[in-house]
Amino acid sequence: MSPRSAVAAWAAFAAAAVALPFATTNTFLLHVCILVFMWTVLGAAWNVLGGFAGQVSFGHAALFGIGAYTTIILFLKAGVAPWWGLWIGGVAAALFSVPVGLICFRLRGPYFSLATLAVAELAKLVALNWEWATNGPVGFLITTLPALRVLGHAVDWERKTPFYLLAALLMAVALASTAWLRRSRLGAYLVAIREDEDAAEAVGIDTARSKVLTLALSGFLAGVGGGFYAFYFRYVDPDAVLNIGLSMEMVFIAMVGGLGTVGGPLIGAVFLTTIAELVRERFQVGHLIFYGLFMMLVIRFLPEGIWGRARLLLAALRARMERHGAA
Amino acid sequence: METFVQSLVSGVLTGALYAMIGIGLTIVFGVMRIINLAHGEMVMLGMFAAFWSQRLWGVDPFVSILAWAPAMFALGMILYRFLLRRIIPGGELNTLLYTAGLSLLVANLALFAWTGDYRTIALSYGLTPMRPFGIAVPPALAIGFVLAAAITGALWLFLGRTDMGRAIRATSQNREAAVLMGIDVERVAAVAFGLGTALAGAAGVLLAPSLYLYPTVGELLIVKCFVIVVLGGLGSVPGAIAGGILLGVVESLGAVYVSTTYKDGLGYVMFLLVLLYRPSGLFGVGKS
Repeated sequence: MSPRSAVAAWAAFAAAAVALPFATTNTFLLHVCILVFMWTVLGAAWNVLGGFAGQVSFGHAALFGIGAYTTIILFLKAGVAPWWGLWIGGVAAALFSVPVGLICFRLRGPYFSLATLAVAELAKLVALNWEWATNGPVGFLITTLPALRVLGHAVDWERKTPFYLLAALLMAVALASTAWLRRSRLGAYLVAIREDEDAAEAVGIDTARSKVLTLALSGFLAGVGGGFYAFYFRYVDPDAVLNIGLSMEMVFIAMVGGLGTVGGPLIGAVFLTTIAELVRERFQVGHLIFYGLFMMLVIRFLPEGIWGRARLLLAALRARMERHGAA
Repeated sequence: METFVQSLVSGVLTGALYAMIGIGLTIVFGVMRIINLAHGEMVMLGMFAAFWSQRLWGVDPFVSILAWAPAMFALGMILYRFLLRRIIPGGELNTLLYTAGLSLLVANLALFAWTGDYRTIALSYGLTPMRPFGIAVPPALAIGFVLAAAITGALWLFLGRTDMGRAIRATSQNREAAVLMGIDVERVAAVAFGLGTALAGAAGVLLAPSLYLYPTVGELLIVKCFVIVVLGGLGSVPGAIAGGILLGVVESLGAVYVSTTYKDGLGYVMFLLVLLYRPSGLFGVGKS
């Protein structure tokens, strides 16, 4: 796609997305869309680091959990409304990820992945046992959300529409920052690091700084996603928001959609949410079976992901058409 | 003092079983340079194999190892030949993610088939602890330890004295050189993966009477396993033995002298420290 038609396609998608809650009263559909948007944010968060910089993290659950805990604790203990709190949650996760990055990025490849796994396990252990701050295994519950007036209308928190619009906004932020990253100098550095870290360093790229900055951006997005989770589900406990499974789901979304692409996480999130919702009614953990299976199939047969493959096919098609046009 | 000796002993006994799991992972890493995230699930399969052979056929878990270790060896060869072999050329991150997918698949299939209930294996002779020198030792753990030590010893002889063992060691030291010496590295890789899986499965069988078993136990074990191999140095068999026993002792002493809730945390902190300051392992023999 040429840049102009790509912008047009994204604009049409955005318009349709914003119009949807006003056109339908199907709450299940809206709920599924909210989940898709939330997972897109999380997949994009992982993709920034894993897809662009090639740093595979198994610890993003920790960043998600910090966002979720920050948002819900700020609300319950300090009265900060969650629609503000979730941004603070993102900042908290970004701040947490800086020292983690400084430590873990001294390791490369699989060693980095193992270290992030240990960080996530430690975070879960702390949340389970630091009762004073986190309420331990019991967690927190929001019973009533504060009143909010937007443009003279009171927001009804029992309806899906406000959450839908907020989730759509968060997704727009996540996709826009990925798109920005792809065109930015930092994005070019990251691709260089992914392809050959030593060569990147040899040509003068400050690889440590680039990776830590990217992790902070990734942490911010994951934390905001976690904050939104706490706001929407109104419930946070270590098993729900600090589970290693969450890290794996983020990996899955980015992988299936296409590593290092802007639109990939959206495709991955649609895929993941559809599987989860189709299977959940039959048996509780069934979706994880399919995640594992699809991850293996995608790596084996479609390593560039669905979005990545579609882009390649599109490019090939255009090249062929141009050849025919010239002939 | 008595508590100290007591927890030291139980730490060493559990540690030897941890070490067996670690050796499996480290052999696979040494030969193929892949970190098998599904290794914990192989231990889980071994545990459930022991459980079901006792429940369905009344076979003692420690006898059932005679059947399950070869079965797990075959499973490992099949996994390598039909699944992993094609992924390896794609790079180490691909194999890491692929085995992560495999781990999710196996753990959740098990959860689907066997539910998430916690199960235990009751042994008729496992109730009263033995008391050598006044130290209480659960019989199940003691038998597990003896068998683990025997298997590790046999493995040591295999790696040191047989052609295949030498080929495995040669391939993990230098793959190119091994190829030039006429070693069929593909076959070595398949055998090494089978061996790693068999060790994980056998350790699962031996651990089953001493631990709770549930389908997602692999998640806990794989992290312990990383701690072990990183402590000992990735790719080093003696390192994995030392790392396993060290982790067992630290956990056991930590539970007594620090806190039971944070005993798993001690392992992770140790793991991060070693990764950062001694990435080739405490003994400096691994490959970083």
